[in-house]
Amino acid sequence: MFSETFFSVMITVGLVWTALGAVTLIALLIRDWIRNELW
Amino acid sequence: MSLAVSMSPATGWTVVIVLGIIWVLLGIYWGRKAKGSEGFMLAGRNVGLSLGAATAMATWVTSNTMMVAPVLALEKGVWGMLAYASAAFGLMLFAPLAIRIKRLLPDGFTAGDFFRQRYGRAGWTLFILITLLYSITWLVTMAIAGGKLLEALGGIPYAQGMTLILTVCVLYTLFGGLFAVIGTDFIQSLIILIGVVVIGVMVIVRLDAGETYRHVAEHQPALLDVMMPVALLAFFNNMLFGFGEVFHNNVWWSRAFAMREKVAPRAFFLSGLLWFPIPIAAGFIALAAGPLGVNVTDASKVGPVVAEHVLGQAGMGAMAGILILVVLFCSIASSIDSLLAATSDLLVKDIYVGLFKGNLSGRVFRKVVAVAILSVALIAWILALSGWNVATVLYSAGGLVSSLIWPVIAGLFWKRCNRGLVLAGVVLGCSTGYYCFFMIEPYIGALSGGAVSMFFTILSRYVKPKPFPEPEPEPSLT
Repeated sequence: MFSETFFSVMITVGLVWTALGAVTLIALLIRDWIRNELW
Repeated sequence: MSLAVSMSPATGWTVVIVLGIIWVLLGIYWGRKAKGSEGFMLAGRNVGLSLGAATAMATWVTSNTMMVAPVLALEKGVWGMLAYASAAFGLMLFAPLAIRIKRLLPDGFTAGDFFRQRYGRAGWTLFILITLLYSITWLVTMAIAGGKLLEALGGIPYAQGMTLILTVCVLYTLFGGLFAVIGTDFIQSLIILIGVVVIGVMVIVRLDAGETYRHVAEHQPALLDVMMPVALLAFFNNMLFGFGEVFHNNVWWSRAFAMREKVAPRAFFLSGLLWFPIPIAAGFIALAAGPLGVNVTDASKVGPVVAEHVLGQAGMGAMAGILILVVLFCSIASSIDSLLAATSDLLVKDIYVGLFKGNLSGRVFRKVVAVAILSVALIAWILALSGWNVATVLYSAGGLVSSLIWPVIAGLFWKRCNRGLVLAGVVLGCSTGYYCFFMIEPYIGALSGGAVSMFFTILSRYVKPKPFPEPEPEPSLT
């Protein structure tokens, strides 16, 4: 059986990871916009 | 079919029409950049990392990610969540392929160019048949999901909702081409990511992961089993399905052609990283249904039902339904627009120009593209309206797409092979995939098709191999 710790870590990391994804996209957008490299 | 709809049909119509107007206006705005065939079909071949990663990720987040991933978690537990998340590896592994695609076909337009140059007319024909069948059924399932979503959440009749979402996507794709698709995909990807996090956090505030675990361990311990055979099969089958889908489909090839050379591999790898946790977060929302006391009468709607429950409890009222509607609408629109653009590109470049030697000079290009986009949308609309069971056609196509994994890898990375054997492997892989899906077990369709094709492709390297023809530059379309 998967352990409770594994399950909790997986869910927490999953949510934090998703949130970081949004932050990463916004940061990259700003970087590309400043460098005039959007498209 | 309905959820405990927390908004009136008038609100539903308003939300969808406002969103639709925003997408269409943005499509018109970005469409001004689309000059000529390379501008319209490939966004000028100069797309950067942020937009490139976002469009790949948003396209891969379909209605299935938001609706089927929770069902898989509900039925197959932890392995179900991981099985769905494994589809992210397809995007990540497309990164090295993108490097070779850019070097081999720097002027390429579609995946069809690759199959024609590497495997000749027979290989191209096989590819076109497989990809058109697959892409159209994928598009139809998205249109059906959009119609059902608007009916369930917004109280909008199915036919009207399905027509509305398809019309919105057709309009902005028509006006702005890949510029509009990529631009709207960025905004849609942010809405999806933020929406999933907000709903996930709302769930975890009411019920931490440990409580969910203990409830599942007590009532459905099989869902936490490390050795659950059918879930393990689902894991590997889903992964192979994802590889086949991404490696062959023009949705991804057109993005590889659209990105700058150094950007393409990084964007695909990043998009896989961004996509990976979404099915896990969505799956957790579904597993929370039991401990939260949410009565799930229809497993296919467990995600939205739980989301609506926790957001309602948080005092969001009608805003709960609107938030869920917006997130799901974005997940569907971001796939429909990409499929419309990529599939119509195949009709224009591979069929109209390649097969019928059609002319695209001057104003003819936009007319031909418009006819192609409208034709693809019309076929999808008719099929979505007919009630034909396209979902089975799509899910049973695992063997079709996984049979193309090895021919794509060989064509990109090898210098020689026996092309006849590779194509025989594709045909036998497709047949085996279908046989296994319908006669043995659905979760081995992609696995068996991929295995047969792999055997023949490896064999082709040793049995009378011949060098691939030198790649030729693709002429400009306009």
